[in-house]
Amino acid sequence: MPSPGIAAKSTPKPAVTEPQTRVWDIFVRVFHWSLVLAVAIAAASGLMLESRILLLHISAGLAAAALVAARIVWGFTGTTHARFADFVPSGAAIRAHLAGGTRHLGHNPLGALMVLALFALVLGLAVSGLLVLGGIDKSGPFAPFVSFGAGSVVLGLHEVLAYGVLALVAMHLAGVVFESERSHENLTRSMLTGAKAKRPGDHESRPRPAHPLLAAAVIVALAAGAWAFNSAQAARPVPGLPVATLDPGYKAACSECHIAYNPSLLPAASWSGIMAGLKDHFGENAGLPAAEVEAITNWLVAHASETADTKPAYRIAARITQPPYSITGSRSWKRLHDDIPDALFASRAVGSRSNCAACHADAETGRFSPFAIDLPKESLK
Amino acid sequence: MRRLAFTLAALCAAAPAAFAQDANDTSAAALISKFAAEAGITADAETGKAFFLATQSGGGADTPSCSSCHTADPKATGMARTGKEIAPMALSVNPKRFTDTAFVDKWFGRNCDSVLGRECTATEKANVLAYFASI
Repeated sequence: MPSPGIAAKSTPKPAVTEPQTRVWDIFVRVFHWSLVLAVAIAAASGLMLESRILLLHISAGLAAAALVAARIVWGFTGTTHARFADFVPSGAAIRAHLAGGTRHLGHNPLGALMVLALFALVLGLAVSGLLVLGGIDKSGPFAPFVSFGAGSVVLGLHEVLAYGVLALVAMHLAGVVFESERSHENLTRSMLTGAKAKRPGDHESRPRPAHPLLAAAVIVALAAGAWAFNSAQAARPVPGLPVATLDPGYKAACSECHIAYNPSLLPAASWSGIMAGLKDHFGENAGLPAAEVEAITNWLVAHASETADTKPAYRIAARITQPPYSITGSRSWKRLHDDIPDALFASRAVGSRSNCAACHADAETGRFSPFAIDLPKESLK
Repeated sequence: MRRLAFTLAALCAAAPAAFAQDANDTSAAALISKFAAEAGITADAETGKAFFLATQSGGGADTPSCSSCHTADPKATGMARTGKEIAPMALSVNPKRFTDTAFVDKWFGRNCDSVLGRECTATEKANVLAYFASI
């Protein structure tokens, strides 16, 4: 927090026309306002907690991180006030500024700390977000390495960092208002036009030339590296996925009346319970010959939710331990579907809550990826 | 995404067609004769129709009638309570019906219990099959 000392040493109101100088280059300005947009979209879509806009959230977050990465490159190759060397403050410089130091054309020491903190948090959010995506949704570059449990822990960290960014944004806006008042200038307009009034007594910066071609080359190299890393990760096997090929006997017998539920959707003991009660199977006789019941039960038990490291296995299946072992009757299933209108379940295209595959294209794989959800449009009035 | 596509393709390749009725060891006519002989009656399509449409008691609360799932029109595609489609029962639109003895026995066994709470009699089976064969 700026001390009252800064305000006390406020400079006198300047003359109407002052000589202008270019402070923020076009890269810095486009970066700044693009980051505003990306963070706003990522924050809004993240706070909505809506799986159908998860792709937007991830895209905005990765765009913000890519912008910051490019800005860091520009911090070593850009124009005078874009350089870290121009604004990263020493402890002494921070103390001097708090005591009411000279006006900075570029970032002042407190503003510089804000820049560094925002960069760190945006990058931290992108990395933690990808870890969550890998562990919980088994997607993205970290899917081969992150367990569901680890992904869940990182999700807590991701949320803390996200609220941290919101707090920093609030402090940044307060700082801009305060500093604009203190030095009688419109800092927001300067971030649009790039120009600031040059006044006697301003903090002196050492002029540095920009190297845009070098910056472009490094940014392209970083992008190529990120792409290569992602491709290499996508080729690796993902451990803990549910059984991929359904037993033909199970599928033939059980998918006559309903979709072939992946065995990772119920615990082993619940499958045994269901198979022991086929004569009254959710209100209907679904009896099978004893030998068939035994073979199917053995296969279901061998591939039950205990063997899968997926979100449905932990968040839904693991909690269904009591008769009638209904997936759609469970509290966790209901909570995840509480925004779906009854009319959609009753529609011709869906027909029943048990018809997962009507909306989840990957239902039989047991993965239930947020990217595989497609609500039938004809039913949405 | 490619992994998912491969998985789905493998699933499709491994999956036998749902509602497989491929034994081809009988026919509607043969089954009607067999059940009618068992019951000592002459199969009657009108009686079978009434049985098919009637609201029964003794079965499950969600399945009071054959037509609950098969619809009142045997030529139409029905829908199980799960949302799964049921191929039409009328022989004229679904000639594969009643060509697999094990399939017919399995589903009479299940559905008579669900709707009536008991097995169907040979009389009921002969009549309802005669109805499906007649339209």
